[in-house]
Amino acid sequence: MEVASKRRRELEAAVLDKVGEVISAVRSAQRVDQVICALHSLAVLLFPLDYSSLLSGSIDQRYRDQVLSAKVPSEEERWEWWQAFYHGAAYPTLARVLLLDVASNWLACFPLSARVHVYDVFFVRGLSSEVVQTLVPCLQQNASDGHDINYVLSNTERLLVHCLLENDGVLQMAREFCRSEDSISEWTKPTVARLAQMVASIPDKARLRAPVSLSSHLFFKQITIQLLSLAEKRDEKVLDKVSFFSKSDVDDALQFVGETFSRICRRGSADVLLSEISPRILRHVQSLLSSDIDSAVIDVFEAHPGSQFWLKMIEAIKDVYAVERISEQLLHHLVTEHASDVEAYWILWLLFHRTIRHQTSVRSMFVDKFVLWKTFPICCLRWILQFAVLECPPDSNSLTKGHSISGLVDTLQRLLAVWSKKEFVQSASMEQQTYVSAAVGLSLEKMSKEELDETKDVMHLILQGVSCRLESPNHLVRKMASGVALVFSKVIDPKNPLYLDDSCSSDIIDWEFGLATPDKGNLDTSDCTEKDVLKSKASILAPESDFNHTANRGMSNNVKSKTKKLSEFKIADPDEIIDPVTLNNEPVSDIDDDDDNASENSESSSDSSLQPYDLSDDDTDLKRKFSQLVDVVGALRKSDDADGVERALDVAENLVRASPDELRHVASDLVRTLVQVRCSDLAVEGEEESAEDKRQRALVALLVTCPFESLDTLNKLLYSPNVDISQRIMILDVMTDAAQELANAKTVKPKHRTGSLITSISESQPWFLPSGSGPPGATSWKEISDTGTLLNWSSRYERELPSKSGQIKRGKTRRWSLRSSSVQENQMEWSHNKFPVHAAAFMLPAMQGFDKKRHGVDLLDRDFVVLGKLIYMLGVCMKCAAMHPEASALAPPLLDLLRSREVSHHKEAYVRRAVLFAASCILVALHPSYVASSLVEGNLEVSKGLEWVRIWALHVVESDTDRECYTMAMTCLQLHSEMAFQASRALESVETTFKTRSVGLPSNLSQGTIKIPTHKGNIDFV
Amino acid sequence: MATIVKLQHISSFRGKGTRNLIREGMSKRPTPDPVAVLRGHRASVMDASFHPSRPLLFTGSADGELRIWDTVQHRTVSSACVHSAAHGIICVASSPFIGANKVISQGRDGTVKCWDIEDGGLSRNPSVTIKTNTYHFCKLSLVKKPSAHALQAEGHSYHDETEFRGTFDLESLDDSKEKAERGLTECSNVVRDTHAEGPNYVAIAGELSHEVEVWDLNTAERLVQLPQSSVGGSPNISTSERGMCMAVQAFLPTESQGSLNVLAGYEDGSMLWWDIRHPGVPVTSIKFHSEPVLSISIDESCRGGISGAADNKIVMFSLDHSMGSCVVKKEISLERPGISGTSIRPDGKIAATAGWDHRVRIYNYHKGNALAILKYHHATCNSVSYSSDSKLMASASEDRTVALWELYPPKT
Repeated sequence: MEVASKRRRELEAAVLDKVGEVISAVRSAQRVDQVICALHSLAVLLFPLDYSSLLSGSIDQRYRDQVLSAKVPSEEERWEWWQAFYHGAAYPTLARVLLLDVASNWLACFPLSARVHVYDVFFVRGLSSEVVQTLVPCLQQNASDGHDINYVLSNTERLLVHCLLENDGVLQMAREFCRSEDSISEWTKPTVARLAQMVASIPDKARLRAPVSLSSHLFFKQITIQLLSLAEKRDEKVLDKVSFFSKSDVDDALQFVGETFSRICRRGSADVLLSEISPRILRHVQSLLSSDIDSAVIDVFEAHPGSQFWLKMIEAIKDVYAVERISEQLLHHLVTEHASDVEAYWILWLLFHRTIRHQTSVRSMFVDKFVLWKTFPICCLRWILQFAVLECPPDSNSLTKGHSISGLVDTLQRLLAVWSKKEFVQSASMEQQTYVSAAVGLSLEKMSKEELDETKDVMHLILQGVSCRLESPNHLVRKMASGVALVFSKVIDPKNPLYLDDSCSSDIIDWEFGLATPDKGNLDTSDCTEKDVLKSKASILAPESDFNHTANRGMSNNVKSKTKKLSEFKIADPDEIIDPVTLNNEPVSDIDDDDDNASENSESSSDSSLQPYDLSDDDTDLKRKFSQLVDVVGALRKSDDADGVERALDVAENLVRASPDELRHVASDLVRTLVQVRCSDLAVEGEEESAEDKRQRALVALLVTCPFESLDTLNKLLYSPNVDISQRIMILDVMTDAAQELANAKTVKPKHRTGSLITSISESQPWFLPSGSGPPGATSWKEISDTGTLLNWSSRYERELPSKSGQIKRGKTRRWSLRSSSVQENQMEWSHNKFPVHAAAFMLPAMQGFDKKRHGVDLLDRDFVVLGKLIYMLGVCMKCAAMHPEASALAPPLLDLLRSREVSHHKEAYVRRAVLFAASCILVALHPSYVASSLVEGNLEVSKGLEWVRIWALHVVESDTDRECYTMAMTCLQLHSEMAFQASRALESVETTFKTRSVGLPSNLSQGTIKIPTHKGNIDFV
Repeated sequence: MATIVKLQHISSFRGKGTRNLIREGMSKRPTPDPVAVLRGHRASVMDASFHPSRPLLFTGSADGELRIWDTVQHRTVSSACVHSAAHGIICVASSPFIGANKVISQGRDGTVKCWDIEDGGLSRNPSVTIKTNTYHFCKLSLVKKPSAHALQAEGHSYHDETEFRGTFDLESLDDSKEKAERGLTECSNVVRDTHAEGPNYVAIAGELSHEVEVWDLNTAERLVQLPQSSVGGSPNISTSERGMCMAVQAFLPTESQGSLNVLAGYEDGSMLWWDIRHPGVPVTSIKFHSEPVLSISIDESCRGGISGAADNKIVMFSLDHSMGSCVVKKEISLERPGISGTSIRPDGKIAATAGWDHRVRIYNYHKGNALAILKYHHATCNSVSYSSDSKLMASASEDRTVALWELYPPKT
């Protein structure tokens, strides 16, 4: 032992001496050949060089002899020297000289062979871990000591590419670590970490002009491939390294791999890493699964040496963040690679089954983070639930419940705690909500009724979550609620599923709620046949299009062919029994008919004069028709006579549009009854929509024909405790529609006809003949003789006219003055905005009571949908009154309403969207000159309001969670700047008129500076 | 001149249009519209009746107004309140047999009034007023006699039939009966000479509403009650269990040797065929309907008829005078119940019904198949009536209008 250490010390001293010699020789060298010789003298001691042939010819004769004469040491000696050189201080010293001095001063003059054999060899054949430690710091050399820094750097980069990438340096490093295990265990964990850090930092340290292979994407890809080849190499060594993995601790090589991977993740290249890892691991799992399925799968995985690498690798990654990034990326990659549920489960199991047991961070990542806070495709969610919550291998196609359900109950409770919160519905993004809802639904599916009963608050939370979702104005959110409710009801009573929504009548719930990514169907591979059958069954139910749809999803080929087979099977559906009776029936009845007709014909031919008329009859005219508004009101009040109400609704709109004299007196009553009619109770199943529609149209007609009386009642009803939310919403909808109709009112005015007042009589026909003008196709005039009286004072003429195109002959009532299309062309349609007159009546009463909380009225909190609709209606009103003075008068109070904190910062995105809409409407509606004059006159109300709009919109853009709010706020900002621009132009013109007229200017104008607070930057007018 | 020219345009155009319509609609002809609509009544029009020879139409409304219309010009000729507005008219009738310039109105005030048609209107006072004291819904019936036309169609000689008139058995009749027969004999003279005036009869539901009474129009005296209550010895039947008499039709079939026959429909849906010679017992009793019989019409040959009721059936029946039986010829079922009026065209080809469902329906009287469903009225139709020349039909409705129709005009 002592001898050995003594010997090593001597050897180290010798190596140091030699290195010192070489360095001094290099420093004192006058010619490049001297440098080469010096380096060669050292290299020959360390490496087996085939220098003789290579060096010859490239260097001077004198030095060649010197080189050739050098003593070649024996193999053992070389190995000892090499060990001493690289493990001692000699190598770093020499490397420094090589990389700085030689590189900048001499290397350019080196012949190529010399560079390879006496220069690069020190790095390429060296100990990779040491080489890296010398090379990497060199990348950050500053220009000092008079070295040519550019050359130094590019040389270093070249060497790095050469060593690490071309010569698999990283792999060698890993090998060195595992080799070192049985020799001197000098690699402490920090060193390994430091090395990994160094390797991973290379792309960042490399210059911009560095070789492409040093760019982070390619570099990381390369070293990942090298490190992963370790997994396969391990297979070969498995025999002589039996004890290798028995160690409980992770060995240094894997330590290095893990560290490197975690550094790569930290540096944001997790996707590069996983794009290499996931196909490999998928292949691995697939091969294992296909080899023998039936035996206990866990044993197979445990026993297989290849699995161990993967298992240990994740354990080696200590960095929680990196683990998270890796697992996230892994899931995404598995989706794109169409991994099946079983494969995905085993991959997750292989990688994480140990860590999830031992490391709480990993466990919480899966159970908490991946289920609640991140969003993945729904199939990933299934994998996660299967692996982390259910903790047992899945069946071919569905989630399988393991023995212990404590994890499931736990998770479900945690999910529900989040899911049922109103705040979650209000603030979470749609993707997040969908994901969590799916998680709730999927885990709920696995529960049994008894298990649910044991956990008391689960039911309560579900009901709470469902009910707060059902109120949402968003269809998707309601669909989530109904989906979860359906699952819940199935758990409680499988025979009696609860369908809250007509659309989701199928048993399979689409947990993606239509947000599906295009590669949705790809989860299924060959082994999940049952699902395919299910799918194609569905396609049998809903024919053709559905099938095409599933096919178009781009399933993997075998699945596609399978579905195709099944669909062919569908065409020849054995269930479709062709009833011979129906087949025979038709011809038989036909014959009967013929017989009948024949007999009848033979009979009726005797008196053909009695040919029957069209005998079709319906009873539409028999129902009592309402011709008086009073009757309509009366009928609507009789809620027990559904038929009467329906007919009253039928005629109501037309009667109102006719605007009879009594309308003004009946309007208020009619409005009240129309609002209170319960269409849904009365109408036949399926026709509620049309009844509802008729009612709304009647109300719109009332508002349009008789605005003041109707509005009075409607506004009273809007805040009355006697109407429910749906009626309030309906009232607001109707007001919106009416405002728009009033704004687009059209009046028809006949165009002034310029007819010739004096008729010119053509020569060709006598004056007493009627003029030849008329529609084309008219025949010429013919005189007809009058019979009877001899004294005929008048002569009569006739001609035949073609029938007009638009002529309709209806009954005995004949209209001779039918308007043909040509007549209509002669009329002009004037659109005339009738709304501004009524704008105040529409808006002001509705704005009054929005913030009062009364019995049954709570717009700010519970009935936020009503509030949203109200604000939307006000916005539409503003738009309808755009550019009219009324808009300017009504804008300040509306702005006040919008500015109130509980409105503009409402929890519900729905309300915020409405506010943004209304604000945009105000910006559009205000006349620029009004904005300008309000600025000039110092009307703070308007200018402050508009400035608030801008600030608030900016705030929304920056911080709102709702995407739609964001886009609307952007539009709002755009409109604002547009308005500010227009206003500034208006200001300019105001200014000029003031100046030219030299009227006494307002004080701030005369100062020559106007600040427009509405614009981002102040615009100064001088 | 300009107006004339315009009219010429119109007529030429109209001709074309109509032709087109006919060509297009050969497979399924659209139902025709009324040729004219007579408006002017201020209440539901209860009945309409054509003047037997002149182009006049009599209509009576529920407010007691009787209007005379010119069926060519479609104008009101005269209007008079002949019954009190509170009670109104339920029936107007005219017949060649009561005289060409007479019209009878029946009010719900318990009177039947016979009016002379003077120049341009009704006489100031009715020529005859019968106080029947009936306050029900049954329309009276004038006597229908086989017309020459109808009989010829059936291959009988009209005059041969009338030869037997004087020879029927008088023994069983009492005083009033003799009177009746006298009247009937005279009446048969009237048939021969339609302009002759003489005693005439109306059948009407009686003061006791389950009885039928026959009144002499000329004397305003009651001739007989059916069933007769006061004939000792003969086995009388009571009709009271049949309920009110809702419809009557009096006719004078040739087979009965000039004896008046009456078909009466009752509330329970049954019909009784009375022969005035045997006022105690009906000739036959049949029950075609399940609801009150509302209308009975007998065709011109008096060998068949049609009945409408409050149920959803129209029954065409035939009368066998020798057997004294009445059998169903054709039963037509309806979608919606209620036939308040029926009428058979004098030429016996088609029949019309007035329905509660606002429809007027036309049937082939021989075969009983439906020919047309006329949708014009928008309220209950109260009656239909054909003109004696078979060209026009009038329908009276609760919607205060009378529509004139020209369907299947007879080829002449």
